[in-house]
Amino acid sequence: MRLSTLKTSARRLRTLMLREVRATLRDPFTLFVMITVPLGSLLAFGFIVSTEVHHIRLGVFDGSSSELSRRLVAELSATDTFDPVIFRSRLEVEEAMIGGDVGAAVVFPADFDRARLRGGVGDEAAQIQVFYDGAEPVLAGNAEASLRGIVESALAATAPNAEGAAIVRSNGIHATVRPVFNPTLDGRPYMVAGTFGFVLTFLTTLITAISIVNERLTGTYDQLQLTPATPLEILLGKMVPLGAVFSFDLLLMMLVAGVFLGTWPEGSALLFWLVATFYVATSLALGLVFSATSATAAEAVQKTVLSSIPLIQLSGFIYPVRSMPTVVGWVSQLIPATHFIEVSRAIYLRGEGIVDLWPEILIIVAMGIGLIAMALRTLESRA
Amino acid sequence: MNERALSFIRNVLAVAYKETMLLRRSPVVLGAVVAQPVIFICLFGFVLSSKPANVDWAVLDQSRSELSRRLIAEIQASGYFHPRREVDSYEEGITALKRGEVLALLVTPVELARDGAKGQAEVQILLDGADPIAAARVGGYMRAIAAAVDTSAGTATVSRTAGRPVEIRQRFWFNPTLADSHFLLVSLAGMLLTNLCLSVASFGLVSEREDGTWEQTLALPVSVVELVLGKLVPDVMLCYGVLALAIIGPGVAFGIWPAGSIPALVVLTLPFVLATLAVGVFISTIAESVAQSVFISVFAIMPSFVLSGVMMPYELMPMGPRWFGALAPLRWYQIGLRRIVARGGGFEDVLIPMLAVTVMFAGLLAMIRMRTKPRLG
Repeated sequence: MRLSTLKTSARRLRTLMLREVRATLRDPFTLFVMITVPLGSLLAFGFIVSTEVHHIRLGVFDGSSSELSRRLVAELSATDTFDPVIFRSRLEVEEAMIGGDVGAAVVFPADFDRARLRGGVGDEAAQIQVFYDGAEPVLAGNAEASLRGIVESALAATAPNAEGAAIVRSNGIHATVRPVFNPTLDGRPYMVAGTFGFVLTFLTTLITAISIVNERLTGTYDQLQLTPATPLEILLGKMVPLGAVFSFDLLLMMLVAGVFLGTWPEGSALLFWLVATFYVATSLALGLVFSATSATAAEAVQKTVLSSIPLIQLSGFIYPVRSMPTVVGWVSQLIPATHFIEVSRAIYLRGEGIVDLWPEILIIVAMGIGLIAMALRTLESRA
Repeated sequence: MNERALSFIRNVLAVAYKETMLLRRSPVVLGAVVAQPVIFICLFGFVLSSKPANVDWAVLDQSRSELSRRLIAEIQASGYFHPRREVDSYEEGITALKRGEVLALLVTPVELARDGAKGQAEVQILLDGADPIAAARVGGYMRAIAAAVDTSAGTATVSRTAGRPVEIRQRFWFNPTLADSHFLLVSLAGMLLTNLCLSVASFGLVSEREDGTWEQTLALPVSVVELVLGKLVPDVMLCYGVLALAIIGPGVAFGIWPAGSIPALVVLTLPFVLATLAVGVFISTIAESVAQSVFISVFAIMPSFVLSGVMMPYELMPMGPRWFGALAPLRWYQIGLRRIVARGGGFEDVLIPMLAVTVMFAGLLAMIRMRTKPRLG
């Protein structure tokens, strides 16, 4: 008796799945979206974070025209960090800064050389004035570090008896900084690992939401309710095929990230794929909840898009959770994407394995089961 | 002639009135006009920052000298860090780094105090490069703090003799504390207007086509130009309302008022808003259903936010993505916004961005004409 129910149930499930696969593959728009969005996101997000500065336009006004100032300008232009632009007056430099034409500016006052050579207690030290465009804080912060470095080492090298610059340095502690993993501090792998979280949450939720609402509009959803299929079977009939398609999509993304962006997982690719596939199921369940509680496609999409704001901003995808106010940090822990992005970065960048990651993975699984249960209840209450 | 002009204006106003009534009931507009400004101002002003804070770090203090304790205390006092974790061996520290438990590991050598007396003190800082932005900044902070620690305390001060040191005086203009919130809030208007224009335009047109009201409107005794203008008037007015919100909000809440010419800002916004509305209309001519159209516009918003430079400076991107981002009207608008709002520029500083968005608007109009002609004919 039980066995035969199970058998008919399995048959119904297979029919539902076949139907879903056909419906998905028949719609060229869905297919197009499923291929272009993940790849487009990878390419877009992969490049936005960089810790290097190159070719910053540097305004220069050299009021002293001394040998040393010319030498410093030559040193600054020798690197590819700065592209010096010479101005004829201080005012012109300031105007260029306001117009956003230069990101930083160096001004050598007219008495620069004299003040430097004049030794004597109580005199003002020779000054180089540097100002940065604080309207671009990331840029200004990076430019500051490299400009100081270049100028100080150039001063040390050019001072005839080297003492001048040496004094500045030797009085403090010199720190050698060395990153473990990712020695060049390349921003790409960090963003690629986060992009998986973004795509697998946003795209899956949106596609599920739209697919159900479309069925509602064409009336096939009501027909589905009339078949002997139970809510659980309908749920699985939606989730398994879509999950399989996304799981394939995931492989495609991993390949593109590796081949075009040079980012392969440091840790186990298989573990990543398994966790990510389970995570897809979680997002699919969320999409089901959104669509089951919305009357129109517009409403479902609206819900998904509104939920994407906290997803992008609070999950640590671009701005780190650690820098958020404490209470907001707690809120971000309630978002499944936060945990998935953490796991994704741990596997991709630090090569961590299941031994280190099981608590995080457990949280993702628990949240996933919760969401699937919620989706099931919404479907049951509507049946 | 005069009669004609009057009827033209009357028709435009009539369509505008009908559109305004529709907009009032649209949930999309409510979301974009009411919810988003509040959410964005809160997020940008209070929550998001790439500045390191609450950084977990570990110390392997092999020196155990007065100098090393002073260095550690100085770093701790900087306010960027959580209370440190003491490790007993190099391996223990590396493991903590590898597990992502700490972002930085400070290693002081046994001979630190001795070298310090000679003016050659060196320490090592190991960073978790898996988080490159935070690592780069934390490394910089720690290095600067270390450089400022006076190793010669107690011993004779270093004599300042031959060849005076050159002093580097530096200042950050426009945003002296280099706050990220300043960077994000300045471009707030650009983000809100992009969201609003794309959703209004792409959503409105397709849903009219689905409901069949588009055909009805075409049957009205108004010309296509009157129809399009009438549709644009309420949208553009709404945009100026959102612009006012985006200026007043950060001003009242965070004291970030535009430093430059407000008339220039008002003028610059018009071609930008028109170009972005045109993008939305173009999307709706491609899409077959509301769902598709919203889908496309959502995924058009994403790259334009990312690549235009509103969230991260575009100057740091490699040339390919950088040029691609120049195709988004938002890129040019945010350049203009930063020049006017942050740096206090005027008309002459935003001529190029204004020209760029105007050219984009013209190009999009031509593309829309090409797409819609057969349908209207």
